[in-house]
Amino acid sequence: MDKPMQQESVMPPPEVNGWKAAPGDHLYQGRQLFDYIDGGGELYISYGFRSLVSRKYARSGRPDITLDLFDMGSSRNAFGVFSHTREKIEKDAGQGSEYSDGLMIFWKDRYYVSIMSQKETPEVKKSIFELAGKIARSIPNEGPLPPILDLLPRKGLVPESIRYFRHHVWLNSHYYIADRNILHIDDTTEAVLAKYGAGPKRTVLLLVEYPDEKAARLAHDDFTKTYLPELAGVGAVRIEDGTFTACRRRGRLVSAVFNAPSDASALQLIDEAEKAAEKLLGGNKSNER
Amino acid sequence: MSDKRQTRRDFLKNTAASAAAGALFLNTPGGLGAKADAKTRVVLIRNKALLDDAGAPRKEVMRQMLDEAVAALLDEKEPAKAWKRLIRPADVVGIKTNEWNYLPTPPELEAAIKKRVMDAGVSAKNISITDRGVRSDDVFERSTALINVRPMRTHHWAGVGSLLKNYIVFSRLPFTYHGDSCADLAAIWEFPEVKGKTRLNVLVMFTPLFHGVGPHHFNRRYVWAYRGLLVGTDPVAVDSTGVRILLKKRREFFREERPLSPPPKHVFLADTRHHLGTADPGKIELVKLGWKDGTLI
Repeated sequence: MDKPMQQESVMPPPEVNGWKAAPGDHLYQGRQLFDYIDGGGELYISYGFRSLVSRKYARSGRPDITLDLFDMGSSRNAFGVFSHTREKIEKDAGQGSEYSDGLMIFWKDRYYVSIMSQKETPEVKKSIFELAGKIARSIPNEGPLPPILDLLPRKGLVPESIRYFRHHVWLNSHYYIADRNILHIDDTTEAVLAKYGAGPKRTVLLLVEYPDEKAARLAHDDFTKTYLPELAGVGAVRIEDGTFTACRRRGRLVSAVFNAPSDASALQLIDEAEKAAEKLLGGNKSNER
Repeated sequence: MSDKRQTRRDFLKNTAASAAAGALFLNTPGGLGAKADAKTRVVLIRNKALLDDAGAPRKEVMRQMLDEAVAALLDEKEPAKAWKRLIRPADVVGIKTNEWNYLPTPPELEAAIKKRVMDAGVSAKNISITDRGVRSDDVFERSTALINVRPMRTHHWAGVGSLLKNYIVFSRLPFTYHGDSCADLAAIWEFPEVKGKTRLNVLVMFTPLFHGVGPHHFNRRYVWAYRGLLVGTDPVAVDSTGVRILLKKRREFFREERPLSPPPKHVFLADTRHHLGTADPGKIELVKLGWKDGTLI
């Protein structure tokens, strides 16, 4: 379990501003992750977790700083975990970061990195930022974002609301739809959810890309039968809370809009996503409402 | 929620029949539950003076809150009488605590509970306080009574870490209860070493965690000084009340509907699938004592 920190390409410094790496980095692989963060491990495993190296930095009389360096196997997984709780857009380290009250998280290439101190002081904060910067620079390359993000219409998009996932539990985490997986989201699909507009009830766009048209059709049918049976022959449905919900399949892509203020605004988002999909994913496919 | 599929629209269509689900998932107002003759009582007690400048609980204030809450729970004027109704001198008492590094059960509260159990006539050798040691602890093995006490927090995979989840370590293989985001945690309460033994549930709401980020699911930004205790004999009722408070806080903080991530379905399923207690606010008598500002429920 204990061995010096060594993940390909990544070289965290032995010391930062007087905080020195405590001897014995901890390496966790696969389900060993539960030994470290218990139920918290499920999130990372659902995003293809490979390994974690954890290191403590200590300085006499100062709060410890804990570094957790996750190898998520791919940049889309690293971004996915990062996006899971993103609240603001910052880029102080890597390809995207977020800092709050003694916790810095960032992602770069296939790595997701957390640097945390239980107590924030100006000194601790400065050291966390320096450590993050050094680690980010030791990761030589940037990794691509999941291509499905390019399908999101830009107008009105709240960038920090983007959530990328391949496990249905995370859909319900971000927007509860049903207790069963009626959109058939799993590790063969690519899903992105984002919010549009402002206020307490923002419009939600969900895009799911399936491995083939048949899988997309089955998911679309299950969703509409279970959730939106009135959809046949109409573009969008006004549901019980007065908002509009729409769902449409085009080829391998299923688009769904929730909380829209009008049917037109719901359909506009889907139209734009489908147009982008046609360009990026290619091939005009049959439309199904 | 039964085992058949349920959707957001079902909850919106039929709020009366699914108020608990609404509270858990959709933030709909509570109090719309089905009429019931018998309600389970949950006591919420808060005190503005609970925490000192460093955020630590003041022992005397905390002890008083605990006593008042237990007395109110059992309709007794004297806390000592209430405790004696909960615990008998011949009982062997396991106090199931929680040692999560970032938000553990306050040791002062553990000590206050132990003191009251001793006041009820139980000898010190027949009382044990532990978290992960429950399966190897002599007192827990012999226990005739359990007291379940832990802080309320959001949780990576179960939605919330609260009273129901606190018993997961009674399982030899806790991870086997992680399936479907810990949906069936209530099944653990059927274990012989647990079933029917829990006399009191204390959900610590001193400084709850209402949102989690990062691998340790902890950031001080998402902790707030609620300065409360939720106390009851029905863990499902206490947990569901705590969940409603967290949801209100999330809505207030994020200024939009923010379901817990993932939804804490185990709380609701403890009612509808496992029949351990009630999650329906319409069947819960919530007694509110003490400081009223920012109660959120």
